[in-house]
Amino acid sequence: MTEMHDTLVEFVKVLRTADVKVSPAETLDAMETLDIVGIENRSLLKNSLSMVLSKTPEEKEAFNTSFDRFFAYNKFSSENEAGEPGEDTNQDDGDFDPGSDGSDQQSGQGSGQGGGQGGGAETSEELDFDLLEAQSELGKLLLSGDRMKVMVKMAEAGRQVEVNQIVVFTQKGLYTRKIMEAMGLKGLQDEVGELQEEGGRPQMHLAGQLKAARDYLREQVRDHVEKQFLLHADESGKELREELLKKVKLSNLEKRNFKDVQEIVFKMAKKLISIHSKRRKTFKRGQLDVRKTLRSNMQYDGMLFDLKWKSQKVDRPKVMCICDVSGSVSNYSRFLLMFLYSLSEILPKVRSFAFSSDLGEVTRLFGQSKLEDAMAKTMRDYGNGSTDYGQMLADFRSHILKDVDSKTTVIILGDARNNYGDPKSEILREVYDKAQRVIWLNPEPKSSWTVGDAEMKKYAPCCHQTEVCNSLMHLERVVANLLRVAV
Amino acid sequence: MAIKNDDKLKDIEAIRGHFESLGYICSVEIATAVFLAYHLEKPVLIEGPPGVGKTELAKTTGEMLDLPCIRLQCYEGLDESKAIYEWKYGKQLLYTQVLKETLGEILDGATGLAESVDKLHSFGDIFFSEEFLEPRPLLKALKAEESCVLLIDEVDKSDHEFESLLLEMLSDYQLSIPEIGTVKAIPGKKPLVFLTSNNTREISDALKRRCLHLYIPFPDADLERRIVRARVPEIPPKLNQQLVAFIQELREMDLKKVPAISETIDWARTLILLHTESLDPDLVRQTLNVILKFQEDVETVQSELQGVTNRALKAS
Repeated sequence: MTEMHDTLVEFVKVLRTADVKVSPAETLDAMETLDIVGIENRSLLKNSLSMVLSKTPEEKEAFNTSFDRFFAYNKFSSENEAGEPGEDTNQDDGDFDPGSDGSDQQSGQGSGQGGGQGGGAETSEELDFDLLEAQSELGKLLLSGDRMKVMVKMAEAGRQVEVNQIVVFTQKGLYTRKIMEAMGLKGLQDEVGELQEEGGRPQMHLAGQLKAARDYLREQVRDHVEKQFLLHADESGKELREELLKKVKLSNLEKRNFKDVQEIVFKMAKKLISIHSKRRKTFKRGQLDVRKTLRSNMQYDGMLFDLKWKSQKVDRPKVMCICDVSGSVSNYSRFLLMFLYSLSEILPKVRSFAFSSDLGEVTRLFGQSKLEDAMAKTMRDYGNGSTDYGQMLADFRSHILKDVDSKTTVIILGDARNNYGDPKSEILREVYDKAQRVIWLNPEPKSSWTVGDAEMKKYAPCCHQTEVCNSLMHLERVVANLLRVAV
Repeated sequence: MAIKNDDKLKDIEAIRGHFESLGYICSVEIATAVFLAYHLEKPVLIEGPPGVGKTELAKTTGEMLDLPCIRLQCYEGLDESKAIYEWKYGKQLLYTQVLKETLGEILDGATGLAESVDKLHSFGDIFFSEEFLEPRPLLKALKAEESCVLLIDEVDKSDHEFESLLLEMLSDYQLSIPEIGTVKAIPGKKPLVFLTSNNTREISDALKRRCLHLYIPFPDADLERRIVRARVPEIPPKLNQQLVAFIQELREMDLKKVPAISETIDWARTLILLHTESLDPDLVRQTLNVILKFQEDVETVQSELQGVTNRALKAS
């Protein structure tokens, strides 16, 4: 079964690119499963592997498509159906093994073939039409009509010639030939030639069958290669694209990429959530849990000195996010808001504000409508007008500052270009004093922070942290830091 | 592994057959899961919407194999003293009192503190021995002599900490008790473990990794008809067909809680009680509260009742 195990490892790789998380331990489980259920019954194998390898409904879906693609194989021809997978899978394993062992040593194939053909000549003496059997390894396999075995063989051959390295479309012909050769095409060809030379009726018939099977196999292999191309080249392409998108400047992202980006943002948020949502702090104050305390102190002869409290608290930061949505930076705010909203599961206290001059709260808007609509509405309501940071800060002080406490993190996203107006940095100072952290994310590179009407020089001293933030990578880092500090 | 009646688990069709004879109609996937759970010796994590027979699967498996089904219902705040073991504090206290009185006899002849302590040591840690141990479901399952089916119900309701507590049990079939050591399952008699989850929160990857994952979706019409027939044998086939067609259509609608199999069965029983031969809109309206549990759902469905009923009637 070793070669099937190798194929399985390949399959696991494919699953991983398709976003199904498979650990090595699960791969081992899958191999054990394989030994138990065998490979003859395709749907049984699929069900079983699906239970071992994919652990959420989404993963199951991805698993199903990957399985169908990876192990895709059509019937040779309807006549060969007689040899369809038997019910008793465990026993069939036995006669599969020797076959696979033989084919494992590809170098020994040629010599093995000679003997095989000798045998072929012997059987031809029996005139029984139906008893004439193919002698070459591949011929036997094909005529046995066992789809699963042929498929395994094909996958194995594919592994040998490293079909997963396929990068461009034009390599398909090459790989098809290579796989056919690795499967023992030469032996089959020789046999066909020999049979035709011998020329008896049964021989001709068998030769015809073999040729038909060979042509069919070629088609299958081509299909297989194509699917491998789709699986490997395409999926790794996607991975590559995602990596690139993470690094690309947010403002350079094109509209057609938004969907991809949203997916990435969602993934990132999920990752962060899973890392951070589990941290819990046991409360050292609060209501005494009498029952628990008595119970756990019974071992001390009822002396109450190990106190238990009722509540456990998950400490999560309170975040206020102020986004500049004026023309120049609106693209960035879009992603910050998107990100914070995906994070809202662990940061239930995100409050979002948008401004170009007057500050407005958009938390409720985001809670109620879909992301797309909410974005559009925010842009419409707050997006026009020239930037005025002074006005924004004044508004912040009069309406929101009272809610800022020592657990609040204030994030300001903007380029700090104030059109030469009064920056009112003293208000930011007040916020700085009250809040736990003030973080300024500036999409512009540091070199231009003080050029022209940019006021970063005045604002920076009133922030705990100032960061350049113009790609998803930066964003992820900032939010991760935010969580680490806060939790 | 060799447990009682394990010939019933020899292949998937056999499992399906035995389940069916117990009135549990299952899909191939479910039978495969039970088959693998036994042969791979792995727990099964069952997920799916409420009311599709997750808990029932574990109970039926127990019944089929004639093994006891030990159930651990999870809830927030569940901890090891309720899930694994607890010391019998009362008994320990009582024995301490007894010991106090007989201490003189035991220490008879000992002179000096060191000798007394030595003498006491020779008695060992009797207070933390198995006799003072109150086994809870997990430990009970491990020590079951004839093996058993362990059902850890609604594991998503428990805390993260409890999940971690389960890991040792699930991967190695053993539990560590600091005062005693490691308790292992009797070789060959490992319990069959089923965990169910309603997905109120994500189960941690560590736990998922150790389990087979079975997702039980709502059944298709054919399977559901067979289930209803198995559970409510007296139902006329025509009504069964209409009923299932109606339910299947409700599941397509945008409802707060779509009816599950258990509701279908309840409804079938209700209709039988009312001596119904065939669905009609009025009757459906009166009995709608059997299958729908929210007023707003009832209102949504009522507005489309006529159409849905007619389609269900036509389907039969």
